[in-house]
Amino acid sequence: MSTSVEPASFRDPSSTVYYQDGAVLRSLVGDAVRDWELLAKTRFFARRQADGSIVRTEPVEDAEGAPEGSQVVLRHDRVPFISYPYEWTFAQLRDAALLHLDVMLEALEEGMTMKDGYSYNLQFVGARPTFIDTPSFEKTSGGPWAGYKQFCQTLLYPLILQAYKDVTFRPWLRGAINGIEPRQIANLVSARDIVRPGVLKHVTLHSAMDKSFSGKGKCGGSQSTKEELARAGFSDELTKATVKGLRKVVAGLKWKAADSHWATYQQTSTYSDDERVRKAAFVRAALADQQHGLVWDLGCNDGTYSRIAAETSDYVLAVDGDEVTIDSLYRALRAEGNTAILPLVMDLVDQSPGIGWRNTERPAFAERGKPDAVLCLALVHHLAITASLPLPAILDWFHSLRARLVIEFVAPDDPMGKVLLANKPAGLFPDYRASVFEVLLEERFEIQRQEALPSGTRTLYSAVPRA
Amino acid sequence: MRTTIAYLDAGTGSMIASAVVAGTAGAAVAAKMGWRRVSGAFKKTAATDAPQVTETQPADRSDA
Repeated sequence: MSTSVEPASFRDPSSTVYYQDGAVLRSLVGDAVRDWELLAKTRFFARRQADGSIVRTEPVEDAEGAPEGSQVVLRHDRVPFISYPYEWTFAQLRDAALLHLDVMLEALEEGMTMKDGYSYNLQFVGARPTFIDTPSFEKTSGGPWAGYKQFCQTLLYPLILQAYKDVTFRPWLRGAINGIEPRQIANLVSARDIVRPGVLKHVTLHSAMDKSFSGKGKCGGSQSTKEELARAGFSDELTKATVKGLRKVVAGLKWKAADSHWATYQQTSTYSDDERVRKAAFVRAALADQQHGLVWDLGCNDGTYSRIAAETSDYVLAVDGDEVTIDSLYRALRAEGNTAILPLVMDLVDQSPGIGWRNTERPAFAERGKPDAVLCLALVHHLAITASLPLPAILDWFHSLRARLVIEFVAPDDPMGKVLLANKPAGLFPDYRASVFEVLLEERFEIQRQEALPSGTRTLYSAVPRA
Repeated sequence: MRTTIAYLDAGTGSMIASAVVAGTAGAAVAAKMGWRRVSGAFKKTAATDAPQVTETQPADRSDA
């Protein structure tokens, strides 16, 4: 029996996540036991588990190998692939924020509240946001929501930054695990922004209060302030008013770039030209021999081939560096109720690193699950020409994944190849040729099928890694 | 009131801000808490001063 503790599970000492033979388990002690017993009896918890918006959780009797002192052990359904807010689009982060607020409101209706307001409490199963941190729920004890600041820093402010300033939140969240601080966002909003929904209260006022009271040893700290506010009459009804106000602000936030693309996406997502039909048939055939577990579609664009991959796989990551495209794909998948394709924004030449404590709290992208098959269609020329990555380095990385590879080579005389090369000095990529690519691929993979597309400048390969 | 150990530092200013953003009633509660702090501090000061007065009284009397 192999047991390992989740590196990120240290913040709340009353609850520890650990893994045992592929199962996701949680050990509870102290107050967390009482709170779990309360949560298990609530109607909203049953309802949300049934529709998948809270992770399905059940108690385990006689758990072996649980951490010392465990009083109760829970088993959670496994999230197929862990992703982080700095890989989500605006619409994904907004939906995650709305779910957090909705479950908070429903909890308050049944005498419970939440300890925190963290974006990492949420995950995506395909295009469905899922709340995973069940020990966040605790019995209400009066006073305001302790997670308000954390919610602002990791969910509200990143959304405000993108909606009001058209600055993507992803680099910031990747660089700061606790998000954007009140004074930071306050310094970024302009006088004009103060009239926009949420700014005066949640940014300007919050920042001023934070500056006046926090970290100066005044007023006995946040815990005693919460208790004092409770004694002064701050009821759960007032917490509901705070949360409803936040919900209204979050629901109204829009990112214009994505909205305009979404409008055209719905009209133009038809795939009829001959080359696309052939490419789709090739990909389908390449993956048809067996049911795959996890497929990565790298440079997925509008997700056409992710959808084909999903026909013969359990789960597909649809990854692209273009947030606007992924945002539209997410919205389409969300509208369909798709839980098999997870859309993520990431630049492959600048992949998500490990962040947080010892860089293991939130692991690097490639450490969160190995693929069984990788699609790399219309991507290599971007890596080789735009990012100047040597072809051997690109193919070495694919080889290290130990997965079936479906890859497209776009020749330098292809219209897209010419566009990319036009931005680089002539003669910089002498080895960027189909013949060189094929030799390098053959050295590392066994090519099982290949097909030149009618244009004559694009070739598809289906290959398996050599030992 | 049930006291639980909160693992998260909610931020003193953020706690007060979240009360104020709840609307008029929330702001009134925050103001009430503020008043209690001010009056509590005043009472504490008065209470701290009082024993000093009584301690000096016997000496005053002996001097008399």
